[in-house]
Amino acid sequence: MKVVEINDVFKTYHDTEVEVKAVNGVTLSFEKGDFAVIVGPSGSGKTTLLNLIGGLDQPTAGEIIVAGHRLSELKPSELIDFRMEHVGFVFQSYNLIPVLTASENVGFIMSLQKWPKEKRMARTGELLEAVGLSDRHSSRPAQLSGGQQQRVAVARALAPRPQFILADEPTANLDTKSAETLLDIMEKLNRGEEMTFIFSTHDARVVKRARRVITLEDGKVVSDERTNHTS
Amino acid sequence: MKNYQLAWRNLWRNKRRTLITAASVFFAVFFALVMRSFQLGTYEKMYRDVIESYSGYLQLQHSDYLDESNLDNGFVPEQSLTDIIEADPNVTGVIPKLESFALAAAGSRTRGVMVIGMDPDNEQKTLNIKNRLIKYRLTPDATEALKGENLPSRTAKLVDVFSGEAWTDEKSLISDLGIGDDDSAAVMPLFRKYASLDNRYLTSADSGRAVIGYGLSRYLSADVGDTLVVMGQGYHGVSAAGLFVIKGIVSMPNPEIDNAFVYITLADAQYLYAAPEMVTSAIISISDTDDRELLQTQQRLSASCNDGLVIRNWKEMNALLLNQMEADNKSGAIMIGILYLVIAFGVSGTVLMMMAERRREFGMLVSIGMQKRKLAGIVSMEMLFIGLLGVLAGIAASLPIVYYGYARPLRFTGELAKMYEEYGFEAVMPMHLPDTYYLWQAAIVLLILLIAITFSVRRIFKLNIINAIRA
Ligand SMILES: Nc1ncnc2c1ncn2[C@@H]1O[C@H](COP(=O)(O)OP(=O)(O)O)[C@@H](O)[C@H]1O
Ligand SMILES: [Mg+2]
Repeated sequence: MKVVEINDVFKTYHDTEVEVKAVNGVTLSFEKGDFAVIVGPSGSGKTTLLNLIGGLDQPTAGEIIVAGHRLSELKPSELIDFRMEHVGFVFQSYNLIPVLTASENVGFIMSLQKWPKEKRMARTGELLEAVGLSDRHSSRPAQLSGGQQQRVAVARALAPRPQFILADEPTANLDTKSAETLLDIMEKLNRGEEMTFIFSTHDARVVKRARRVITLEDGKVVSDERTNHTS
Repeated sequence: MKNYQLAWRNLWRNKRRTLITAASVFFAVFFALVMRSFQLGTYEKMYRDVIESYSGYLQLQHSDYLDESNLDNGFVPEQSLTDIIEADPNVTGVIPKLESFALAAAGSRTRGVMVIGMDPDNEQKTLNIKNRLIKYRLTPDATEALKGENLPSRTAKLVDVFSGEAWTDEKSLISDLGIGDDDSAAVMPLFRKYASLDNRYLTSADSGRAVIGYGLSRYLSADVGDTLVVMGQGYHGVSAAGLFVIKGIVSMPNPEIDNAFVYITLADAQYLYAAPEMVTSAIISISDTDDRELLQTQQRLSASCNDGLVIRNWKEMNALLLNQMEADNKSGAIMIGILYLVIAFGVSGTVLMMMAERRREFGMLVSIGMQKRKLAGIVSMEMLFIGLLGVLAGIAASLPIVYYGYARPLRFTGELAKMYEEYGFEAVMPMHLPDTYYLWQAAIVLLILLIAITFSVRRIFKLNIINAIRA
């Protein structure tokens, strides 16, 4: 089953004098349960592509369809609701709301979606357990390490069961051990929750673990390989 | 997590900034309230004193008297009209008055005065000038004598400061001169000995007797028992002259009145000015002095007037005083306006700074699905909390000062007092107890805050998420 369809998508920036074709004719699709990584040198368009898929930005040309929604047809406020309902985001850093505890952060999107309190609490407990932080319910982000913060961010993204999770270089600021732990957790959730993960990286540790590797260069897909390894 | 909870927690992320911003609102509100209270209290005292001890809220006059206040515009009041006026439900009394300019001399000094003739029994029912009789005064001799006695050091110092002042009751003397409960038994007899005044009031049966203002008594160096020579022009240019023995000295609230006040019986005045039966006006005292009721009473009474007689209200009679207050009021409003402008800029500055710092977080929140209007609501709420904190603290801090200033009005002495009196103000500044002006100030500050907040928070709606999360 296709979760994301990208048809001949372009994204051109002309902030400065020169035109930058950040995404230059990409056609791709992602299946439910994918554990896909987008690699490529800095400036190759990874972040731009993820932003387009997540409905943070609109393409200059081409079509993106997520869970039956044509993103170009949504109004700005509808796009926000679309993201709340269908997309989980994990950013490179500054993911969490500093004044909320770990469990409040995990519950945040569920409370935007107006989940009843009981269900929300149960789901939060389950996920904090899954990311190995069941003893840190009431810690504020500042009291957690970088790796722990990313794990809370993954739990938050996953909590309301979105269509997929987009993670833009989630391990970029982590040491090897924390990065491995985060990847272990994401793999486990990919299988256990059948959650689709799409992330970008130029971290070899991440590439090694992916089951699908898409390589971008100058905004174009230069290779799309499925590796059948299980770790 | 409710919006207000999130807002409340965000408030304490940068404690110092929150407190500084709240403090700026606090000081502006505090100063505005205290200043306003002083202004309103002073105005109220100014006109209330003049009205209640001198002009009354309404007067029956000849229509030309307002422009040309002289005897030739006087009239002979008809009992039938007086009866009609007295029958009005809001009227508590009618006091016929003959008032005219004259020169008064005692010893070698002369001064222009207002001679006021009223029937004392009649007058006492409403104007109550009798309450203003002086009980104590610090003449130069009294000051010297008291300093020679063994006074507590604080009181000794204050005797110097208040030298020249007079008091109409013992309580204010005790409080002004800082006489403690413990000392009062030892000190008060000394004040009674040196500084008290044997003061009597006019009665209707008196003839050739006068009660004069304290300011006038000082200028003329005239005391109780001395004789005052009064010279002027009577009705239709007849010359008027008379001798009056000073029976009492009163402290009139407005310095201009106090320096020129000569009160004799109506009969004496009519005789002095060769104007039998005549008056220049009749003070109409009323019970409900509220603006609206006042005007309605004026209208009702006017309907009964004829022969060129009219009813004037205190605003018409005191146009000068009102203009003075109006001008002062405007300058006060401008000051407060500036204070509030400072708050507006301060709060906007804080909002903008805070939003710049949290741009990335805002980008993240909108990315994961928070609507911009919800975010704007939370940020506005944060700023509103800060504003409310400042407003409430400002109100709370001003209350004790305003109540204290009401109970014990600020009183200037020495040079400052002279300056005030030269401008025609009494050197006493009472404060006005909180009423609608508190609500108004609070409402205005909140409105300004709302405008400043809305103005700044609009930026959230223009936030470009991509740029915000890339930053
Ligand atoms: N908001 C933007 N405005 C202008 N140029 C941009 C913007 N975002 C990305 N770019 C440009 O687009 C190209 C791709 O950027 P990006 O998608 O961030 O690449 P990557 O994530 O692979 O490093 C770069 O040349 C970058 O400078
Ligand atoms: Mg990038």
